[in-house]
Amino acid sequence: MDEDVLTTLKILIIGESGVGKSSLLLRFTDDTFDPELAATIGVDFKVKTISVDGNKAKLAIWDTAGQERFRTLTPSYYRGAQGVILVYDVTRRDTFVKLDNWLNELETYCTRNDIVNMLVGNKIDKENREVDRNEGLKFARKHSMLFIEASAKTCDGVQCAFEELVEKIIQTPGLWESENQNKGVKLSHREEGHGGGACGGYCSVL
Amino acid sequence: MGKGTFTSGTWEEKSDEISFADFKFSVTHHYLVQESTDKEGKDELLEDAIPQSMQDLLCMNNDFPPRAHCLVRWYGLREFVVIAPAAHSDAVLSESKCNLLLSSVSIALGNTGCQVPLFVQIHHKWRRMYVGECQGPGVRTDFEMVHLRKVPNQYTHLSGLLDIFKSKIGCPLTPLPPVSIAIRFTYVLQDWQQYFWPQQPPDIDALVGGEVGGLEFGKLPFGACEDPISELHLATTWPHLTEGIIVDNDVYSDLDPIQAPHWSVRVRKADNPQCLLGDFVTEFFKICRRKESTDEILGRSTFEEEGREIADITHALSKLTEPAPVPIHKLSVSNMVHSAKKKIRKHRGIEESPLNSDVLNTILLFLFPDAASEKPLDGTTSTDSNNPPSEIEDYTLYNQFKSAPSDSLTYKLALCLCMINFYHGGLKGVAHLWQEFVLEMRFRWENNFLIPGLASGPPDLRCCLLHQKLQMLNCCVERKKARDEGKKTSTSDNVINTYPGDAGKAGNHLGPDNLKDTDKEKGEVGKSWDSWSDSEEEFFECLSDTEELKGNGQESGKKGGPKEMANLKPEGRLLQHGKLTLLHNGEPLYIPVTQEPAPMTEDLLEEQSEVLAKLGTSAEGAHLRARMQSACLLSDMESFKAANPGCFLEDFVRWYSPRDYIEEEVIDEKGNVVLRGELSARMKIPSNMWVEAWETAKPIPARRQRRLFDDTREAEKVLHYLAIQKPADLARHLLPCVIHAAVLKIKEEESLENISSVKKIIKQIISHSSKVLHFPNPEDKKLEEIIHQIINVEATIARARSLKAKFGTEKCEQEEEKEDLERFVSCLLEQPEVLVTGAGRGHAGRIIHKLFVNAQRLTESSDEAAAMAPPEEEVKRMGSPEERRQNSLSDFPPPAGRELILRTSVPRPAPYSKALPQRMYSVLTKEDFRLAGAFSSDTSFF
Ligand SMILES: Nc1nc2c(ncn2[C@@H]2O[C@H](COP(=O)(O)OP(=O)(O)OP(=O)(O)O)[C@@H](O)[C@H]2O)c(=O)[nH]1
Ligand SMILES: [Mg+2]
Repeated sequence: MDEDVLTTLKILIIGESGVGKSSLLLRFTDDTFDPELAATIGVDFKVKTISVDGNKAKLAIWDTAGQERFRTLTPSYYRGAQGVILVYDVTRRDTFVKLDNWLNELETYCTRNDIVNMLVGNKIDKENREVDRNEGLKFARKHSMLFIEASAKTCDGVQCAFEELVEKIIQTPGLWESENQNKGVKLSHREEGHGGGACGGYCSVL
Repeated sequence: MGKGTFTSGTWEEKSDEISFADFKFSVTHHYLVQESTDKEGKDELLEDAIPQSMQDLLCMNNDFPPRAHCLVRWYGLREFVVIAPAAHSDAVLSESKCNLLLSSVSIALGNTGCQVPLFVQIHHKWRRMYVGECQGPGVRTDFEMVHLRKVPNQYTHLSGLLDIFKSKIGCPLTPLPPVSIAIRFTYVLQDWQQYFWPQQPPDIDALVGGEVGGLEFGKLPFGACEDPISELHLATTWPHLTEGIIVDNDVYSDLDPIQAPHWSVRVRKADNPQCLLGDFVTEFFKICRRKESTDEILGRSTFEEEGREIADITHALSKLTEPAPVPIHKLSVSNMVHSAKKKIRKHRGIEESPLNSDVLNTILLFLFPDAASEKPLDGTTSTDSNNPPSEIEDYTLYNQFKSAPSDSLTYKLALCLCMINFYHGGLKGVAHLWQEFVLEMRFRWENNFLIPGLASGPPDLRCCLLHQKLQMLNCCVERKKARDEGKKTSTSDNVINTYPGDAGKAGNHLGPDNLKDTDKEKGEVGKSWDSWSDSEEEFFECLSDTEELKGNGQESGKKGGPKEMANLKPEGRLLQHGKLTLLHNGEPLYIPVTQEPAPMTEDLLEEQSEVLAKLGTSAEGAHLRARMQSACLLSDMESFKAANPGCFLEDFVRWYSPRDYIEEEVIDEKGNVVLRGELSARMKIPSNMWVEAWETAKPIPARRQRRLFDDTREAEKVLHYLAIQKPADLARHLLPCVIHAAVLKIKEEESLENISSVKKIIKQIISHSSKVLHFPNPEDKKLEEIIHQIINVEATIARARSLKAKFGTEKCEQEEEKEDLERFVSCLLEQPEVLVTGAGRGHAGRIIHKLFVNAQRLTESSDEAAAMAPPEEEVKRMGSPEERRQNSLSDFPPPAGRELILRTSVPRPAPYSKALPQRMYSVLTKEDFRLAGAFSSDTSFF
């Protein structure tokens, strides 16, 4: 079944409690919206295989609880993630303001420095917007993250968010190839041979 | 063709194989990649223009290129094709075959109109014999060669070679047009006597007790043990002489190297010089491939006979019910060593343990400095961030290498093992130290001594697993210590300082009996919540209740909260939560003391996430997953209930998940604006996990709850893990630390020398290593590659030092000269050949001259004393310039190589033929003599 899967990618969803992380994930994996979704306890986990540019990738997505108290537990899951989706709620400025904290956390706990980050402004279906699209975009640019606005309720931008993230990860070879042959720098300075046999390259008189 | 383009430009080659007369040949096209010369090329394609290659024969801009194919060196060509036997051992030996090949070449060139010279390699390959031909419109050049083992006397000097050149041309004109001459003599300096390589292998015996030769535990050695520069080649060049200006015959020569207008120098590097750092790391890496277990190396387990088989956790666990061992407050390394050694000796009979006790003592003291002081380290550990090393970038390198901080115990241990492996008994020593280390870990765990050199807090997942394990053990020690101290002080009024925000000091004791009632009240629903943690007996803290009751909180319960709850005395309060009050009675809302979540190492985490992932993505799976992780939530709810008697879920949510309590301004019956709040929709879903947990939660303060983290079990797991590590496992765990240390070392050494190319390489090594080391099981091949890169850098730095010592850059007093000299030395390392500014009269030139003079004196004189004369005097002794000119001939050894290029343009074969380029190159070395001639002739008018 998984024969043609190029790679398995670990994706992490983080952000303040109630911004709609679990809802976004549910929309992405099951294409539904469940207003009765309980607040996440610890971490939850879903799998989905998607195809980007003809490359099939299996996504193991860890949905973390945004709740302050669970946060001591969740950083452990940052380990080895190739992509992170950082979510805020466009109708709650405080969730946007807290983004800096989340980035800090990422920086502290991520085990790799070439991880791909995606910022998602969720709940754009709602009317009482408090964070402008441009603000989100600016923040994302400043921290070199991908950016998209979405709604788990109406499905807007959800698929796109995940696809773009995966595409970017696949374009960053060191991130997903565990066997990256010959990719590294060639450092060994070839010592100049001294008149070895036939005149291949370098020759001097002596 | 511009000056030096043969060296600066890129050469490319294309190869193909052909069969000719049942013989396989490879055809290779060599050419200099030329940028934007198209226009030039077109202009030159005039009717009667001679081929490029013929013009190149006379070009003097690229004589004696430092790095080029021999045909380029001999003929000054920028493009040519070589046909050679494909197999390395094959050779075209017979003359008839040579002629057949050559005539075929001639026909091919004629047929195709190709103007690129075509060569055929004949004789054995090592002789580098080529014959070739180049054709142009009405012109042809024949490339011929003579290669001899012994040189006929007349060819050792210019005048003889001129004669042979002229006779080869056979020019019909008289007088002959002048011949232009380029000469290069190369001198080799091997004898560095005065500047013998200063680095001695460190004195190991003197090592214990302090620093010797830069070697001490916790440091890595550095540098080459032999001179990494073996030879200096000085090329003295006369680029443009005309016949008749100078005399060079068998009795007299004007060619004084001191006077040569151009000097250039190259150095020959020793192949793989023995370097200390490289050896250290390489030897350490070799441990990774050893298969033996610690016990196999040291003899039978030292633990078994004492009835403390640590592999058996259950056995160890059963010991826990026994009273805790009496802590020994004064740790003494000698005691520790003594007992450990005794244990080992008991098992190994009279046989000595692999590490002698002095060495072991020194190492243990280095690793556990707290053991030397009177009081064991308390609470804080040495790795506090309040004193960050000056170079933060260097310090955080562990993050990239997944090693451990450079001031950590793990890192120090890696360096000690590295040293022991090299100097103190190899694998046996390694196994011995590791055994001692594991013993020490157990000692610390059993006696509540924190392990020094580890940052406090949960394991740092950015570090190597071994480091995490040690941190984990420390977490266990910390918890156990807090608990034991709590037990001890239970009769006094002392409160341990873990919870600074404790509301009160002393107060009524709330016995477990009171609790039992509430338990009954709530029923047995809670059972299912117990599944996640399994040691029923251990409580988070066994403190007596030391908290003060808020005296005024008693008459509440009127607003309809559960009366039984509201009547309970509050317990385990941490502090008051701002202005929040309980919904049912307006009492202040208290944040409870809670249990810390369980610390995790990456392997535990991996296990746990695997378990969680295995539950699948179904609704039931998700539910179960949440339930498994709800132990912490439940514990917090219980603590909250204990701290806030009679509270509701709404109260809890306002503290715990404020966004799930939605407040709205509404107008009440009296027309006042009041805040009305309710739980968020998702919290109100009936029987969601939060509600479920809330209903199950009993009001129990954290200290009487079952432990979320079973430190005893975890500590035993860690100790067991440590004990079963083989030396090879250990080496794999610690290799990132060793590489990390090696990189810091080369960085440090480079900074003293400031070699820009090395700086660049170090950066590359770091980024390369961080990629390799981040994967769980890096391939040996890649690790070897990294180590090899480190070795190369070490050798390069050692070479730089050797050259600096030889050229005395440090002794140079004049700032400007010093800078020039330093630049010159660094060029020597990076370029194949370096021009000496001012030739023999320049600053560098004078130093080189001196070096040769010294070497000459040594070879000429059998008198040892003369050899030691300082170089200054040597120069003075040489007297006037005139005298020196004559003297200087013997300042240098006979040239190891004499190269001459003779060029002219004359009509051949007839006086009325076109004047065409003629060239002859000759080289004479100790081993052989070669003449390579290119003679052109007019093929249309003769
Ligand atoms: N209108 C609207 N509501 C949404 C959207 N996404 C989520 N919600 C609602 O927002 C609330 C919180 O959503 P969750 O997905 O549970 O939030 P979360 O980020 O997973 O929260 P935690 O698990 O506590 O970290 C729920 O009531 C959802 O129904 C959206 O796109 N539009
Ligand atoms: Mg959630």
